[in-house]
Amino acid sequence: MKFSFKHSLSWALAWSALTSCLASPGMAATSAEPHKHGSATAVAAPASDASQSIQPFDEKTWPAILRTGPRPAAYLFTTSYCSSCPAAFEVLHRAVKSQKTRVELVAVMMDVDGAQARRHAAHFSGLTLIYAFDGFEPAIRQSVDPSWPNVTPYVVMVDRAGQTQKVIGQPSKAALRQWLR
Amino acid sequence: MGMTWGQGRWVFAAGLVALGLLSVRLVQSQEATKPSMHARHQRPQLATGAAIAPDGRLWVVGLNAQAQLFVQSTPLGGALQWSDAQILNTGSDLIAADGESRPKIAFGPHGWTVISYTMPLAKPYTGFIRMLRSSDGGQNFGTPFTVHQDQQPITHRFDSVAFDAQGVLHTLWVDKRDQPPKGSPQKYAGAAIYRNESKDGGTTFGPDTKLADHSCECCRIGLARNPQGQLQAIWRHVFGDSTRDHAFASVDAPANRIARSTYDDWQINACPHHGPGLAPNVGGAQPGYHTVWFGIRKVNGQDQAAVRYARLNAQGEPLPESVRALPDPRAEHADVLAHGQHVAVIWRSSEGVITTLKAWLSEDGGLSFKQHILGQAQGENDHPRLVQAGDRMVAVWRLVKETQVHEIQF
Repeated sequence: MKFSFKHSLSWALAWSALTSCLASPGMAATSAEPHKHGSATAVAAPASDASQSIQPFDEKTWPAILRTGPRPAAYLFTTSYCSSCPAAFEVLHRAVKSQKTRVELVAVMMDVDGAQARRHAAHFSGLTLIYAFDGFEPAIRQSVDPSWPNVTPYVVMVDRAGQTQKVIGQPSKAALRQWLR
Repeated sequence: MGMTWGQGRWVFAAGLVALGLLSVRLVQSQEATKPSMHARHQRPQLATGAAIAPDGRLWVVGLNAQAQLFVQSTPLGGALQWSDAQILNTGSDLIAADGESRPKIAFGPHGWTVISYTMPLAKPYTGFIRMLRSSDGGQNFGTPFTVHQDQQPITHRFDSVAFDAQGVLHTLWVDKRDQPPKGSPQKYAGAAIYRNESKDGGTTFGPDTKLADHSCECCRIGLARNPQGQLQAIWRHVFGDSTRDHAFASVDAPANRIARSTYDDWQINACPHHGPGLAPNVGGAQPGYHTVWFGIRKVNGQDQAAVRYARLNAQGEPLPESVRALPDPRAEHADVLAHGQHVAVIWRSSEGVITTLKAWLSEDGGLSFKQHILGQAQGENDHPRLVQAGDRMVAVWRLVKETQVHEIQF
């Protein structure tokens, strides 16, 4: 299945709307399970300000993603100054093009939100969801991986079984094969 | 009811003094120095430059809550007395003030004072290096101008500025003008280091000249004078296809006459945003430089990320026996300065929401160090900077509500 950014963003908007309805107050939006709610095309995307498509990412988000997030998926943690990040995302995008099932490709902006985040995310062809750090960056980073040395692109690939691979820079072909097997 | 952070801060400071650690001077925030926060989730723009003026006053330059460029100064050596923030006219410039990309201030002879910053352009990763100039020691600044001759809307970012001993102003930056056109089969690793110089304190500039091809794209450039007063530079560099270590060069050397200063052999196509520091080593048995940097190297087959320290010879090559990791696996964004046998390394270290400012001090030219804690903060904070005037060194660390200034005492 081929996703355009436009379709993917619509799906993300729908996911956002659903999670807003289902999540209890104060609950991280990422606790929703998007695959339970059908594919992108099965959910009508509401017309919405594009900024709503950017999900907050705080210290509780990553454990929730690992627990109930989509699989397989790849999360590219990036910054507005990371000029080597689009190339890493492109490696992920190329890898999923041949997949018959949906694979989520997620960008997590670590330093900007709103219009700035969308502007940078526009570099990521195949993007299906955007998060933006919401809180103290080192604390959020350590919630993802205490040993992450604050280098971007930092890529976490979650396979169908929920196993993760963490890579700084572009994932190797072997890592991609293991992720999508 | 628990303490407020402000109350806790003072208790913490008192605790440090009681423990016999370094003296701590905490500076109350002023309205103008509150950081810029444009959007709900956006990090505050805390990145701040600092320098000591010829008269001994400490100056800082940064963005306030309205994203306006400001300068403030205070005398050192006694109670800190910050001047009112002076808001500078930067027109409609956007100003990068995050992490490694920060406004900078430098003092030269004849009252020459310059402030530089990167102005991001509309297209991501692009920018111009902008500068404001003063000829009266920073009392009045002109309007900003672009430092480089190249006007393409491409990467000109991560500026560094300094005067050499002759009073020549040097500006260096990361530049992507040598990138092949998009779609070209030709490949070009990283970016380039370009520079120019001004012999009249920033009134006029010479041509843009290349110092080196294949620098890393998004790390600061470290500068230090050699014993003759000439500026030397160190930056993260792409060796081969994807080995990111560090290169060293005299700023007035021909293009690509570089020395390799680190040998982590980090194979990576990524952006550490974590540049090196450089300081002269004039008091040791082998004159050269002290340097600190972040890198990942294989140790017993395992990747070991660390901020490391080493001494370099006069050509910028490492003295292998001097290489050592800082005693903190969470060390980030270290800075280094030296005077004679005194060497100071500072860094920040975050654990959850708490960040600690640490120092590693040597009285024997970097042969041995002792670790100290300078301060602690909760929440957002800037990378710490060391600034120097002769044997006086101070650490400057901007937090959301205050700027801490710590006199380094050996």
